[in-house]
Amino acid sequence: MTSRIKKSSAGYKAIKWVVFAIFVAYSLSLLIPFVWMFVSSFKSRGEYNLGNIFGFPKEWEFNNLIEVLKFEINGQAVWSMLLMSIVTTVLGTAINVGLSAISAYCVSKYKFPGRKLIYGAAIFTMIVPIVGTLPAQVKMMETFGMMDSLIGVLFLYSGCFGFNFIMLYGAFETISWSYAEAAQMDGANRFQILFRIMLPIARGPIIAVCILQAIVYWNDYSTPFLFMNSVKTLAVGLQSLQNEMINREQDYPMVFSAVMVAVIPVVILFACFQKTIIKNTVAGGLKG
Amino acid sequence: MATEAIANTNTNTKKPKDMSKRKRHRDYIFVAVLLAYPVLQFVITWVFVNIGALRLAFIRVDRAGNFAEFIWFDNFARVLRNIFTSPENNTGVSWLNNNLVVVLNSFGYAFITIFISLPLSMLFSYFLDKKMPLANVFRVIFFLPNIIPVVALTMSFALPLKNVIGADMFKNWPGGQMYVYLYCIWAGLGYNVVLLSGAIGRIPKEIYESAQLDGAGYFTEFIKITVPLVWPTVVTLVIVGLTNVLTLYLQPFLLTNGDDSWVTSTIAMEIFIGTSRGNTVQYPQFAAKGLLFSVIWAPIVMLVRNRMSKKYDGIDF
Repeated sequence: MTSRIKKSSAGYKAIKWVVFAIFVAYSLSLLIPFVWMFVSSFKSRGEYNLGNIFGFPKEWEFNNLIEVLKFEINGQAVWSMLLMSIVTTVLGTAINVGLSAISAYCVSKYKFPGRKLIYGAAIFTMIVPIVGTLPAQVKMMETFGMMDSLIGVLFLYSGCFGFNFIMLYGAFETISWSYAEAAQMDGANRFQILFRIMLPIARGPIIAVCILQAIVYWNDYSTPFLFMNSVKTLAVGLQSLQNEMINREQDYPMVFSAVMVAVIPVVILFACFQKTIIKNTVAGGLKG
Repeated sequence: MATEAIANTNTNTKKPKDMSKRKRHRDYIFVAVLLAYPVLQFVITWVFVNIGALRLAFIRVDRAGNFAEFIWFDNFARVLRNIFTSPENNTGVSWLNNNLVVVLNSFGYAFITIFISLPLSMLFSYFLDKKMPLANVFRVIFFLPNIIPVVALTMSFALPLKNVIGADMFKNWPGGQMYVYLYCIWAGLGYNVVLLSGAIGRIPKEIYESAQLDGAGYFTEFIKITVPLVWPTVVTLVIVGLTNVLTLYLQPFLLTNGDDSWVTSTIAMEIFIGTSRGNTVQYPQFAAKGLLFSVIWAPIVMLVRNRMSKKYDGIDF
């Protein structure tokens, strides 16, 4: 018996180390391109184009970052794209998660006609793929005069019956109604119960959803590309910048600097809230 | 339907009837006030848009994009003709024209997500849970593809490779498409691992311990315990893989810098590029194309979901 366990544990270890090596390789494949871009963002254009592609810079060009922020594409500077990204991300996240939380709370805690229909619609739109609605969506936005505007993008972002709704619905389901009853005894009305009691209790999952949603909006390409094309966000501008810089001027280091401007904020955000995110995606209703 | 706050149903039974009626009335008003905007937004962006798309699929528009006439199934016929009888053929295979390649490319995403990405990420997540050294560091690194802008991620994949393979790596068929698939596997692993290792982490360790006492090795343990217990998550990821067929366009679009070449195009990408270029005359055809594929594919997705959900039904822990 003991020999069998020993034998199998030796086999276990071998497999484990092979998998460990694969993990290291995969991790490196994810990290190295960014380390490369980060390091290369400090090279001068001349040095990069003369063949120092994969090495360290001989002279560190710290000005690239400032240069790229000042660089203009179609009359819009990169710093203003950065600003636009911050504005759309913050407002979009606040609106989307706020509405998701409130709707999830209503559907989870109150019984009213149509309650099941709302929940069913949220699930249905998540699993049934309907494509080809993009032209109709553009037409709808044109009808409402919301094409090419921040309001239009925020209107689309305010759709709250999706993944966040399902996640937060699950969170509210686990919160006991007795807190609300106690508050009712003290004379709290329905709005006070929602905003002073229930939302604060559910703040863990709400924060996790906020961070994930903020990352999604920060990185979103399609919505701002289609519906806010004249004022670009960073995610959209990066693509134009890449085309402009690489095709016309072969200035890779500037592109890498711009990539860093887009990537570093989300990495910092993720690093700060890493535990909340991982804990809540683990505990969250991802079962089915 | 009962109309009180759910949890109140037990406690309020003693109260007079009219009071509970008034309370119910106020509950309604409260919910109506809070849900008015979300429901309205949903009706406009989902219900109206879908009805609009449905109508669009059956009409012809003039150059300004306004309604010209109802042409019933002509748009669908044109879509099918384009796919099956297009004379453009650069593949060297007689039956495989360029438009058919686009359809094939799209369906390929279901294949690679379900048969390559998913098993790989299952194994990754399983071993991450096995007291792997640096497991937490790996978890954070594997999360990276989820937080980095796709634009930056595609660049980080394509730029170094272009230096090695050549600038036209996405332009040749079928190699170009294979690189796009490779990218999707590479970037998608992180996403799947995050979801799966969450589910695997919730499996109680005692189950594994008792299996090990019975002499189960990694393989038996993985097949007999892990897979059934995280099955709901597996089903979700399979559904995501299947819907990719109709929805995926951003990755190839960005990898190729917005190149609309048939080599790396997908069904959704043709619709996306056509719409973003304001090609209003073709809108009805895009709508017909989307509708056609949705009508064929959505029931299959639902069927797979139902069948798969039943497989390990009732297993819980």
